[in-house]
Amino acid sequence: MSDTTLLERGIGAAPDRRPRRRFQLRDPWGHPRGLALVTWIYILWSLVPVLLAIRFAFNQGRSRSAAQGWSLRWFTQDPNLSVLHDPTLSSALQQSLTLAFFAMLIATPLGVGLALGLQRWRGPGSGTANVTTLLPLVTPELVFAVGLFLLFTTAFKTIGLGTTAQIIGHVTFSLSFVVVIVRGRLATIGSDVEEAAADLGAPPWDVVRRVLVPLLLPAIAASLLIVFALSIDDFVVSQYLASGADTTTVPMRIYAQARAAPTPALNALATIMLTITLLALGLAYLVFKFMTRGEGGGSAIGGLAGIEAGIDAGGSR
Amino acid sequence: MSTKGDILLRSLVKRYGEVVAVDGIDLEVPPGEFFTMLGPSGCGKTTTLRLIAGFERPDEGEILLDGVDMSRTPPHKRNVNTVFQSYALFPHKTVEDNVGFGLRYKKVSKAEAARRVGEAMELVRLSGLGHRKPGQLSGGQQQRVALARALVLEPPVLLLDEPLGALDARLRVDLQVELKRIQETLGITFIYVTHDQDEALTMSDRVAVMRDGHIEQCGPPQELYEEPRTAFVANFLGASNLVPVSVARNGGPGANLTLGAFTLQADECPDELQGEALAMIRPERVRLEAHGATGENRMPGMVEEVVYLGFHQDVRVRLATGALVRADVPNDGDAVEYAQGDAVSVHLPPRYLRVLAGDASATDSDPTAAEAEPA
Repeated sequence: MSDTTLLERGIGAAPDRRPRRRFQLRDPWGHPRGLALVTWIYILWSLVPVLLAIRFAFNQGRSRSAAQGWSLRWFTQDPNLSVLHDPTLSSALQQSLTLAFFAMLIATPLGVGLALGLQRWRGPGSGTANVTTLLPLVTPELVFAVGLFLLFTTAFKTIGLGTTAQIIGHVTFSLSFVVVIVRGRLATIGSDVEEAAADLGAPPWDVVRRVLVPLLLPAIAASLLIVFALSIDDFVVSQYLASGADTTTVPMRIYAQARAAPTPALNALATIMLTITLLALGLAYLVFKFMTRGEGGGSAIGGLAGIEAGIDAGGSR
Repeated sequence: MSTKGDILLRSLVKRYGEVVAVDGIDLEVPPGEFFTMLGPSGCGKTTTLRLIAGFERPDEGEILLDGVDMSRTPPHKRNVNTVFQSYALFPHKTVEDNVGFGLRYKKVSKAEAARRVGEAMELVRLSGLGHRKPGQLSGGQQQRVALARALVLEPPVLLLDEPLGALDARLRVDLQVELKRIQETLGITFIYVTHDQDEALTMSDRVAVMRDGHIEQCGPPQELYEEPRTAFVANFLGASNLVPVSVARNGGPGANLTLGAFTLQADECPDELQGEALAMIRPERVRLEAHGATGENRMPGMVEEVVYLGFHQDVRVRLATGALVRADVPNDGDAVEYAQGDAVSVHLPPRYLRVLAGDASATDSDPTAAEAEPA
């Protein structure tokens, strides 16, 4: 009796269930294939232009739009027009590397100091200072560059436009990134290790030297490389603060020459820049991972988030 | 026992803006005592400890170590060491380097330092783990490193801020025993902060129950448990039944307590108490008798609930007056003879009844509230 009832129930229930299943697009616990597809389309879309540019850097012919075989002509081999032999291109590369090098060496220690100060400063004004430090992250770069231009042509006329002004400009906008990265790490470290060191008898300078700096090393290394990548990518600030042909950077040269007589040497130059930037970021990531190995779970996340924020912001520039 | 390690706090005050975290604490901890500050979060116990360690600057008052005021001395020049709740080990240094960190400032030779590090590691039973990094150790082991790192400096006073808070229950019990052993071996003063009443009762020579920045009551664990002076202490240390009563003196040391139509006798009652007050009795001292049993201090009631708790059973009885009384019946193998809905007679022996000043915040009718562990 009870068996037949169950059977009947089962049969009766089946037509009810079937139409409902039709509206269910897919298994909610399954792999999100639709999302994966959209993601891959996006990745391809954003990579294609870059890959095309790299392709023509290795072109045999002079065209930047038609495939004409493969060569290293535009990197080294062409006696007049290659990156190696065109003095305007190689000097641009040199200028870009010089700016990046000095920006890196100046912005990182300044940013570490600033981050430490902001982390500890509690009281009236600290909130404002916090926001102000991060302001360059959201200020349109053009506004920032125009402001700096006015500053160096009026108030700081003694410095004037040129390499020094360009370095100061790069340091100014990359400082915020250093602060973000270092503060992320400081928050991870927490104040109790500093207190513990003081408690065990370490005077303030020793707390910094024996505890804080070793623990901040990954963030410092990441900062160095992020600043390098930001500086070498920069166009607007470099352009506004340039004083002539010898202060032209790679992005400026590419922009100028693309409108005059472009050759695949520009693509070659861009490819070199891209490689350097990617190497710097990859190195930053690896160094950070290596130096925070063995620290429990999520402790590296703060710093990594900082690096990723830097990559994002660097990419959007 | 060492003669060093005497801590004296004189009207210590610490404010954070409008909030008074420590509100005029006076306290003396003699050398070699295991002293515990017990209280719920926000009662000022950790702030007091941080003031002694030197991480915070007091707004008023003095902190004397062996008679010398050190309230204006920076932490690295104070002769006290701290074990942190988070351990605060240096993740980039090996266990050995962590333990030896402070010895650099003690002007000891390298050989002497190595010997002391070894001894400290042995004391906390960590020998052989010296070359690991803290990240490779379990929570209990990390706690031992933190302890060794402080003990290696042989401070006259050791401050411990909820050192067992992050460990699981079993490990906590083991480490309680071990902490007490270490403290007795070294004979140094321990000032221990916790919100765990078991830790406080197990290890301490004296306990201070703190509330809202002041010390509510201070004494040996037994005294606090047996003779709490306020409803807050009665509730925080162990469970207690608190019943509102009105007090009438009976000429002797005791009093008559009126509860609705009933009158209870209490053998002892503080002189200053008159009128509205609270009668307090521990659940394990409430006797349940068959319905109709007569005699002094017996009241009729009805069993509302019997809760099985393993080693004992908790019988909740609603008195005729409406008050709820909890009786602890030890689980001796026999089933409790009363079930939900049974009428019983509740016997509250006069010698176990204590009379406390009425306290609005502690008169919550539900006596089980005291069992909820404060965060």
